[in-house]
Amino acid sequence: MLKRIVLTAALAASAAGAQDRPVVAAVNYPLAWMAEQLGGDAVEVLFPVPEGQDPSFWRPGLSEIAAIQQAEVIALNGAGFAAWTTRTTLPRSRLIDTSAAFSDSYIATQSITHSHGADGEHSHEGTASYTWLDFNQAAQQARALAAMMEQRIPALRDTVTAALPDLVAELEALHAEAGTALAGLQGRTILATHPRYQYFARAYGLEIAAMEWEAGAMPTAAQWQDLEAKKQDTGARILIWEAEPPADALDMASDMGLRSLVFSPLAGRPQTGDFLAIMRHQIAALGDPG
Amino acid sequence: MNALFLAFAHLRWTWARSLVLVLVGALILAVPMVTQTLLRGSEEALTRRAEATPLVLGARGSQLDLVMSAVYFSEDRAQPITRAAEDAVWDSGLALPIPLHTAFQTNGARIVGTSLDYFDFRGLELATGRQIALLGEAVLGAQVAERLGLGPGDSVVSAPENLFDLDGVYPLELQITGVLAATGTPDDEAVFTDVKTAWVIAGIGHGHDDVVTADADGNVTASAAITEFQRITPDNIDSFHFHGAAEDYPLSAVLVVPNDIRSGTILRGRYLDPENPVQIAVPAEIVAGLVDRIFRIATLLDAVTLIIGVAAVAAMGLTLYLSWTLRAPEMATARRLGAGRFVILRLAAAEIAILLSAVIAIAACFVVAVIANGDGIVAWLLAV
Repeated sequence: MLKRIVLTAALAASAAGAQDRPVVAAVNYPLAWMAEQLGGDAVEVLFPVPEGQDPSFWRPGLSEIAAIQQAEVIALNGAGFAAWTTRTTLPRSRLIDTSAAFSDSYIATQSITHSHGADGEHSHEGTASYTWLDFNQAAQQARALAAMMEQRIPALRDTVTAALPDLVAELEALHAEAGTALAGLQGRTILATHPRYQYFARAYGLEIAAMEWEAGAMPTAAQWQDLEAKKQDTGARILIWEAEPPADALDMASDMGLRSLVFSPLAGRPQTGDFLAIMRHQIAALGDPG
Repeated sequence: MNALFLAFAHLRWTWARSLVLVLVGALILAVPMVTQTLLRGSEEALTRRAEATPLVLGARGSQLDLVMSAVYFSEDRAQPITRAAEDAVWDSGLALPIPLHTAFQTNGARIVGTSLDYFDFRGLELATGRQIALLGEAVLGAQVAERLGLGPGDSVVSAPENLFDLDGVYPLELQITGVLAATGTPDDEAVFTDVKTAWVIAGIGHGHDDVVTADADGNVTASAAITEFQRITPDNIDSFHFHGAAEDYPLSAVLVVPNDIRSGTILRGRYLDPENPVQIAVPAEIVAGLVDRIFRIATLLDAVTLIIGVAAVAAMGLTLYLSWTLRAPEMATARRLGAGRFVILRLAAAEIAILLSAVIAIAACFVVAVIANGDGIVAWLLAV
């Protein structure tokens, strides 16, 4: 009985503590991780995308929007990531587009042109949005987020100011590690199951030819044929999977002479590990010539 | 008591004359009081709201039009500016910009496209329902909701900017998610929505069915018959998108909330150049000038009212005098019946007292009714 009372009291205290903590909402896991690194236990990081859903295409419900509207800081990735933010009412005073500083460096993707009546033609030009896979850009995003947290949550200013140099140093170190580890892959084409790696390829001098496969699903016969054709065209020997595929898919890729690697862009929160550790592991695996 | 009874009986007998005297008297008494009440109310409302609005950014031109449209949502239409002007304020780090897009109306109420910061800035709270969350949603001011009899779950349709603008602006159905608590300000007479929704009404953003289809060879063809949605629903919201550079999207004005006095001064200095198409106005200064002018005119009106009042009172006195002159035979009969001069004077005084009481009572009712609805009347006057 006493144990139950103590447990209840502890939970209540924890809930009260969580309510008192300022909230930082993030649209993807890298930003949520950065907020956690910057604010530590003093902030509550709100990343409401359910496990298994792609944060790029996830659409929040009204209760989630209400919670996000109340956050002290709402960290956007920018570059068109999380299109729901353009159709949702959010307070500008609490929004930070973390990639705005390098928006001139966005990578444009395919565009569709059409017209409405007499308005004339206009185009929908896409933008590659996985900006954090260039870890130097990720460091800039961390700086932007830190500046906003310092401005909006004055009580956290010292904490954030103290944590930022370490976070930036870690991301810059990761950038240097990636540059070194992947140097041997420069000039060789790598195939990827999804177009997520534009900034990664640009930052580390890689040629990545992407397909449009569904993450974690068994590819169709037509997709295998497409893969074979791309392999023949490019001479690629490495296939990057966005998410863990079925074992049969790995076997088929192996039979085609392709070395398979799962390289998650980590847009969603991983089940275990954190951004830095997983990225280090993935980069080391990709750079491993064996 | 007998004098009162007789006086009342006579007034009732000559009811038409009595009614005219009472109404004229009530009007003479009430009009200056009502005018003063509304003027003071307008001055207070204008001044209070202007002082609560530090700076307004808008197109160069009439500062009065800019302030009246941005602060009081009046019909005055300043030229639009672009979102780049709002971004410039934001990028300066000196102030919080709050966008306003007030070009459209619905059911006679102004549609105010803005950001959530506006509600925090004005201290607006919801009386019922929830805050806007998605494109196509709106919250109503208290007066609009009462006048239209609408609430959460209902909808309103935006009206085109003008009848001849059939191509550019088409009606968009706005889903009402909440009603704001009454504040006695122009916010009660407005319909609030996200500025992005205002851009959808303006035709900058739209949603439609799939634009392109691919044939067997992979050739992509754009459909010539695109149907744009006029209602935003959970099923079609993902198809809504905006065209053109975001910095070119139009705004009616931007409320600027400086971080401190120094930031405000620096910002004002940046928009002094007459070549700059954008200007900053200080609502408190503009409104102070306007109020001064209004009160100069009001003083003149007071003098006119006083002169007319004196003339009207004299006319009323003359009416009573003539009435008593006509009643001379009646008074002579009373004298012959034994009524003294004092009794006849009491009769006259009682009649005047009854008339005055009726005049004061009706004037008081009129003034109280105006005072009770003063905030609403003032808000309506300012919004026109």
